[in-house]
Amino acid sequence: MHNNNLKLHLQYSTIVTCNKQPAGWANMETSGRIATTPDALDFTVENVEKGLHQLYYDPNIENKNLAQKWLMQAQVSPQAWQFCWALLSPDKVPEIQYFGASALHTKISRYWSDIPSDQYETLKTQLFSQIACFSSGSKMVLTRLCVALASLALNTMPEVWPGAVPEMVRVFQEEGGGVDGRARCLALLELLTVLPEEFQTSRMPQYRKGQVRGALGREWGSVCPLLQQLLRQGDSPGAVKARVLRCLSSWVLLDVPLSESEGLVEDCFTALPDPELFDTAVEAIVNAISQPDSQRYVNTLLKLVPQVLSLQEQLREAVQNGDMETSHGICRIAVALGENHSRALLEQVAHWQGFLALVNMIMFCTGIPGHYPVNETTSSLTLTFWYTLQDDIMSFDCERQAVYLQVYRPVYFQLVDVLLHKAQFPSDQEYASWSSDEKEQFRIYRVDISDTLMYVYEMLGAELLSNLYEKLGRILTNTEQASSWQHTEALLYGFQSIAETIDVNYSDVIPGLIGLLLRININNVQLADTVMFTIGALAEWLADHPVMLSSVLPLVLQALGNPDLSISSVSTLKKICRECKYDLPPYASNIVAVSREVLSKQIHKTSQCMWLMQALGFLLSALHVEEILRNLHSLITPYIQQLEKLADETPNPSNKLAIIHILGLLSNLFTTLDISKQEDESGESTAPPVKTAPLPPGPNPVVVVLQQVFALIQTVLSKWLNDSQVVEAVCAIFEKSVKTLLHDFAPMVSQLSEMLGQMYSTIPQASALDLTRQMVHIFARETDHFPPIKALFELVTSVTLSIFQQGPRDHPDIVDSFMQLQAQALKRKPDLFLSESLDVKAVFHCGLLSLKFPEAPTVKSTCLFFTELLPRCSDVPPVARVVQENGKLLLQAVLEAIGGGSSRSLMEQFAEVLFSLNKHCFPLLTVWLKEALQAQGFPSTRVTTEQKDTFTQQILRERVNKRRMKDIVKEFTLVCRGLHGTEYAAEYCL
Amino acid sequence: MAYQLYRNTTLGNSLQESLDELIQTQQITPQLALQVLLQFDKAINTALANRVRNRVNFKGSLNTYRFCDNVWTFVLNDVEFREVTDLVKVDKVKIVACDGKNQVNDYFSHSSLIIRPSQ
Repeated sequence: MHNNNLKLHLQYSTIVTCNKQPAGWANMETSGRIATTPDALDFTVENVEKGLHQLYYDPNIENKNLAQKWLMQAQVSPQAWQFCWALLSPDKVPEIQYFGASALHTKISRYWSDIPSDQYETLKTQLFSQIACFSSGSKMVLTRLCVALASLALNTMPEVWPGAVPEMVRVFQEEGGGVDGRARCLALLELLTVLPEEFQTSRMPQYRKGQVRGALGREWGSVCPLLQQLLRQGDSPGAVKARVLRCLSSWVLLDVPLSESEGLVEDCFTALPDPELFDTAVEAIVNAISQPDSQRYVNTLLKLVPQVLSLQEQLREAVQNGDMETSHGICRIAVALGENHSRALLEQVAHWQGFLALVNMIMFCTGIPGHYPVNETTSSLTLTFWYTLQDDIMSFDCERQAVYLQVYRPVYFQLVDVLLHKAQFPSDQEYASWSSDEKEQFRIYRVDISDTLMYVYEMLGAELLSNLYEKLGRILTNTEQASSWQHTEALLYGFQSIAETIDVNYSDVIPGLIGLLLRININNVQLADTVMFTIGALAEWLADHPVMLSSVLPLVLQALGNPDLSISSVSTLKKICRECKYDLPPYASNIVAVSREVLSKQIHKTSQCMWLMQALGFLLSALHVEEILRNLHSLITPYIQQLEKLADETPNPSNKLAIIHILGLLSNLFTTLDISKQEDESGESTAPPVKTAPLPPGPNPVVVVLQQVFALIQTVLSKWLNDSQVVEAVCAIFEKSVKTLLHDFAPMVSQLSEMLGQMYSTIPQASALDLTRQMVHIFARETDHFPPIKALFELVTSVTLSIFQQGPRDHPDIVDSFMQLQAQALKRKPDLFLSESLDVKAVFHCGLLSLKFPEAPTVKSTCLFFTELLPRCSDVPPVARVVQENGKLLLQAVLEAIGGGSSRSLMEQFAEVLFSLNKHCFPLLTVWLKEALQAQGFPSTRVTTEQKDTFTQQILRERVNKRRMKDIVKEFTLVCRGLHGTEYAAEYCL
Repeated sequence: MAYQLYRNTTLGNSLQESLDELIQTQQITPQLALQVLLQFDKAINTALANRVRNRVNFKGSLNTYRFCDNVWTFVLNDVEFREVTDLVKVDKVKIVACDGKNQVNDYFSHSSLIIRPSQ
């Protein structure tokens, strides 16, 4: 029964919180239902009851939905004032009464202005008497009625109803109505609880909100003594006390002064031993302490410290008995006090011992016995406290900071021990019994610990690393007692957490740590993983201390052969190769050999294989050209052979994957293989996008390899040309190579242009256009390479134009890439548009079509194309001609988009096109704007002629300030969409 | 109240586009759309604070910083982002960070970050 009620209650809640919907009933076939006669259906008691019946009991979901819609209309109709009282009649079932109460609340909260002021009093009296009736009736109806009265009070206080709360108290204290005192008391408490809640959720104007908040704050003077009296009376039933605590929770959220609620908060502490009241008492205390304003009442806070400390016994007992709820609750209280007021309490130097005791209590919570999240979930609550405390200590001036550090540095060292203990894995057997969800939560918890340690390092400095080092040394060299792998792993994890982000260069313990790493008996996967990640975290340090490479590399290479350590070993090798490549040549052949072996044995998954190739790319970059070629040869020959074999086979899904895999390995290798950096080792990342430095003599080794495999790639393509994934993989190889090689790629320009042209003419793919764009970017300005680039550009343009003729909607990706290519060409080499073989007008019209695509990225690229095109009116005659003849169409398309045709997030891009039109074709724009906006209802039926005129004037005036143009467009689009002036549009943050 | 800065993400933008469309076709009111947006703020703030533990390290040179209305803004140049295995270099990055600690019932998050490459 209880569950049923709950479900109904929720359903009702949905009704009342939804907004009014347009249009009600549709014609229904079943004649018995109220939905059959849409127009004749009045909002009467009978019909509402029928509607409710249909909502709950009709098996047909369609009917339910219709009933819901109709009921929502009924609820806000003028007739609701009549039927709601009838629905509340005692002979109705609670579901119907609930709807009545709910309709009443909706009317009062949202249609307050309907009520003539001379009827306020009657309404109030009626509500009071209904609440009295329901105080011993259905709880859900009672709550709704209380919310309705609360809403009335908020609408009338302070002027019309100045003493609302005292009156409520007085009315409910009066005997009568045959309702017993306890029920009346509970009803009053319910009313007082929902009053501040209704205030928090009500939507009233800002000035009114301030007024009402002030009035409510003054009412606290009447509420507080009442609550105190009820809580302190020995004979108050548990249910009353629980309600008092909830009421307190609700009021403290209004920021009532902590000094005034001090007595009540103390009473909450006395309620904590009572299991029935524990949860609500915790909630009330935490709410009171966490109020932002409470920090002003330092004296009260100081009184709270011993109260909180007095809970330690209860906490210890709860921990011993495994009572997680209690320990969790007490921890929340301690943390709330510590976290919100550490600064205020730290400053009370005379009470330093009390605060230190509180800190230690929180430390106990951090170190609560058992494993997170299986045995406990409390410790994670405390982590933020440690950040706050540290921040507060570090924000004092040097002198004071030094004093606090004397006290708190040892505390933080202890914290490190506690956290590393908590980060330890459980026994293998226990861990195996955890669910995957628990394992994931534990992983997250360890990351949180890791973050905390990293932060704590800021305070403890290098001493923290020495401390960890000593501990690790002790357990690894202790011959008498074998240490657990968990302990070793946790200490290493601590190291890794710090070294991963912080420069450990000045710590003198790292060489010793590496020595210790070699002594670890790695008998467990988790431990091995952490060892690997620790080495990875030290990669930058190793770059400064290359002599240590010889110690760690064997460990990494050995781990590379273990599939369980795939991610950690490969990523560590990649980090080392990236950071230390100039010191790795002596080890290169060994690394390549091991990598070749693990690749051929297929130990790693695809993505790790790709990482490994990137690592090798870094490694090879630092070798001499002959060495690179020799290693490349030995590394990729097996794959080339395999690819040759695959190219001969008839295409099928499995050899497709194999081909993509091999092509992927090559792309990843060429992504990082960059010999140009050899010359400016110290140059960091300041290399210009287009290099001008002289190249090393002889062709680049990557080019040599690419030329060797070019024919093979063409063979593969010939069979797979219509498979977009294979084409993409092929394009990726060249794209990555072009990006790294830049001008070194020159020898291949003509070959590749020809191949791309062939590919694209057979089956057009977006990736081919993207690669063409890169080639245009890098080579279009070079006289030697201009002819092949020009030919390719014209070819892909004419092929794409034919796609547009057949219907471009199926290829938004191609259109997107095409527009980007055109924009790039206009920017980099506008001469391409002088050619007679290029149909500029057709390209322009394609742009117009693309502007109306629903895909935002495509529209963005098209806007970019037009913003690049318009400035060329001055120096490229064919462009000027096309714009002159067709510009009006462009303007219309832009206005249509602004009028609501395109997403609002694209308005800035459209504003840019308008701005560009204004800047480069001003006289024409003046005429076009006038003509275009003359049409009735264009670009939206919501804008008037005056609004359009204003818009035109604003646009034409704005030729310098692009930001202003964007604002004008955004404003106008809101008007066109019917959003102007709505709170929703004001909140929009695009 | 939850931070609104995540509205300007792919997910937030898509939601707002859908809401716009629903308003334009008069299927929902702007008030309801606003409620949905507020719910989105709440949900994404909680989800990012409690469900995500991916970590990215980055370094670069600090160009400008400011702290205004409890929002930190940093503009960085030549930034390198490192995830477990990947390194991404970006010329210019703007970081907007708000205090995630003072959000209700949120004991885990230490800060809310939005990082976007500057244009």
